[in-house]
Amino acid sequence: MFEVLGARAIDDIGNIGQFGRFCWQTTAACLRGCWNHKTYPLVWAQMHIIGVRSVPVIMITGAFVGMTLAVQAYDQLKAMGFEERLGVLINISVVKELGPVLAAVMLAGRVGGALTAELGTMNVTEQIDAVRSIGTDPIWYLVAPRVMACLLLTPFLIIYADLLGILGGFFVGVKQLGINNWAYWSFSASGVELWDVVVGIIKGLFFGGAIAVISCYKGFTCKEGAQGVGQACTEAFVSSFISILVLDFVLAVMFKAIYNTFWPFRSLVG
Amino acid sequence: MNTQNQTTQERRDSAPQGSNDILAARNVTKRFGPHLVLDNVSLSIERGKTTVVIGPSGCGKTVLIKHLIVLLRPTSGEVYFNDSRIDNLSEQDLNEVRTRFGFLFQGGALFDSLSVFENIVFPIRQHNRVKDWSHVEDIVKSKLAMVGLDGFQNYYPANLSGGQRKRVALARAIALNPEVLLYDEPTTGLDPIRSDVINELVLKLQRELGVTTVVVTHDMTSAYKIADRIIMLHNGKIVADGDADHIRNHPHPVVQQFINGQVGEDDLAILRMTGTASQTQFLPRDFEA
Ligand SMILES: Nc1ncnc2c1ncn2[C@@H]1O[C@H](COP(=O)(O)OP(=O)(O)OP(=O)(O)O)[C@@H](O)[C@H]1O
Ligand SMILES: [Mg+2]
Repeated sequence: MFEVLGARAIDDIGNIGQFGRFCWQTTAACLRGCWNHKTYPLVWAQMHIIGVRSVPVIMITGAFVGMTLAVQAYDQLKAMGFEERLGVLINISVVKELGPVLAAVMLAGRVGGALTAELGTMNVTEQIDAVRSIGTDPIWYLVAPRVMACLLLTPFLIIYADLLGILGGFFVGVKQLGINNWAYWSFSASGVELWDVVVGIIKGLFFGGAIAVISCYKGFTCKEGAQGVGQACTEAFVSSFISILVLDFVLAVMFKAIYNTFWPFRSLVG
Repeated sequence: MNTQNQTTQERRDSAPQGSNDILAARNVTKRFGPHLVLDNVSLSIERGKTTVVIGPSGCGKTVLIKHLIVLLRPTSGEVYFNDSRIDNLSEQDLNEVRTRFGFLFQGGALFDSLSVFENIVFPIRQHNRVKDWSHVEDIVKSKLAMVGLDGFQNYYPANLSGGQRKRVALARAIALNPEVLLYDEPTTGLDPIRSDVINELVLKLQRELGVTTVVVTHDMTSAYKIADRIIMLHNGKIVADGDADHIRNHPHPVVQQFINGQVGEDDLAILRMTGTASQTQFLPRDFEA
């Protein structure tokens, strides 16, 4: 019993160590890649696959989040006579939390799954070893461009999600439920600060990096066979999802502390 | 005088090959978990010669050849290239060494997201081996022509047959004009005529460019044709080592069975025990395993 537990603990610690090493190598490869002109076309290609092709799903995600929030919150606010503040509620939720997190989850599914499956297949068909046998660092060639593309593009995708969330909320709130246009926006403007938007976008950097590194790691350490690749994809998604949530919490705490040291408390309801 | 002798002796120990050996494995042992695959294997590969490694399926040939370019690291033991130890180098330093090798994977390991042309250009581009990029198409053309696949530049690996993939992989392995070529079963899956073309190619590269070649194969015709030296691996150990005649006349029964393609008594006994197909019952647990 203890032996089993002990063995598993040693395994887990070993895996954490391995993952740490992988992160370190990836960081080093990314930094080196910045000065190597051969990296740019690789990053460019990944940006197309990861970024451009994700825009539609990200926009759909954002729009529905905004619209749903409007539908859900309207009745309660109306009962209190606060319905004109619907805008601030929707926009701050979208910009601070729901936009970044849901966009990241969407990316973890769309991009993370694809990265793990691609690298996992390359791993089991020895293509990663082939890169090594040619004398090229597979982390530089395969991982760094994907991580860099994710890091650079997730913030932009989050801007898209935010934008569409805001528009979706506006559409339902003002066009469908008939809230006064001017009141909707002026309450929003007074409630949502640039800080909130920026924090949401900075979160994107972390989420993007986490998704890419975790997915690539799972691909690189994937077990043999079709089942191995499938399992790696599942694990990659679950791990990415959990790290998105954990990072979101940690970053929320950190940014709140930073905010509180510079600015006084701000009430959204007052 | 005495001390000088000692240092010479020590140097010989730390660099086990004379200058004529380009590659050497020394007491290499490899385990995967509890599974012992290579058991204290020592061998040295002579410069400019063709060494063929034969042995039954699963005996560790692929594992051995991967150690020579340190795609796998030994559990214990050392690997030397040009008299310097390479099995303990970092991946970074190894990349430098590996540009002097060509490696053909048993499964080809072509990059399936790249076309045939890009696959062969990949090593050239990675190491900036050409001054004038307008020559690249000619280089690729000539490499593909060597394996009989000129004209397939724009195909993707998924659209090639197994044998064609293997040959493209071979073209990629020789793209950098390496000093050492390691082939893992170059002729498996090819028709007899194509196999012979590959044999001729191996010989030609060795003759004209002085390439050192290590070939893993099951194909005895090919082995006899190209080998300067044949090594037989069995259960992770070298059981025979010598030129073609030495192997043909080797007294060891395992060697004789292998080169003549005979089933051993043990295997026959198992076949007799399991009975004929009609008697054999497949129980569900057979499928689980
Ligand atoms: N990555 C690995 N993890 C665990 N075991 C492995 C690994 N690679 C090889 N082995 C084991 O090592 C043994 C030898 O494998 P190897 O691929 O070298 O055989 P081989 O001689 O090349 O056979 P074949 O002629 O069929 O290609 C096998 O029993 C295999 O199970
Ligand atoms: Mg093999």
